[in-house]
Amino acid sequence: MEAYRDQYAKLFHNGRKVAVIGISVDPDTMLANWARESDFPVVFASDSGSVIGKTYGAFDSKYKVDNRSLFVVAPDGHVSYVVKPFNVLSPVAYTDLAHAIDAVTPAPAPAKTGGG
Amino acid sequence: MHTRFRWAVCLCVAATALAPRMSAQADAQAAGPGVGAAAPDFSLPGATRYGLLRAPVRLSDYRGQTVVLAFFYQARTKG
Repeated sequence: MEAYRDQYAKLFHNGRKVAVIGISVDPDTMLANWARESDFPVVFASDSGSVIGKTYGAFDSKYKVDNRSLFVVAPDGHVSYVVKPFNVLSPVAYTDLAHAIDAVTPAPAPAKTGGG
Repeated sequence: MHTRFRWAVCLCVAATALAPRMSAQADAQAAGPGVGAAAPDFSLPGATRYGLLRAPVRLSDYRGQTVVLAFFYQARTKG
């Protein structure tokens, strides 16, 4: 999640029209502590029952954790991009993710200029 | 005796016919939604750097925005 934090402005448009939800089997209190200590600008969701991890095919039943999996959900609610496993160490993975986000995210409205 | 045998045969045939379908369903669930599929909604306890969220995190609440769902191993793992 550090890579997401450090590239938040570039990858996720600083949260404008793009939301990032980190999901793991950790309790919400642990996620809150980690988010505060590391100053993560994203939302975390606690899937302690691993139901959502299983639904999305991310859950590893052997180790009882979610594997690194990434889904981009377009504004219409449909999946537009899937990476399993997501290689957090690969710069190309973030380039591809940026393209996937930009492909479905509406462009921001042009800034209003003064004058007449 | 014949009736029991027939029932046993029927059960075996039914199990054989259903097995591939059940396996396919399990595989589909293991794979998760693909590109173009509707993202399954969820409602989970949430947190941010400011603390626990009072309301659960619902994917459907983000309709109209692009959402990146990032599954990860555990808190405090690098990456």
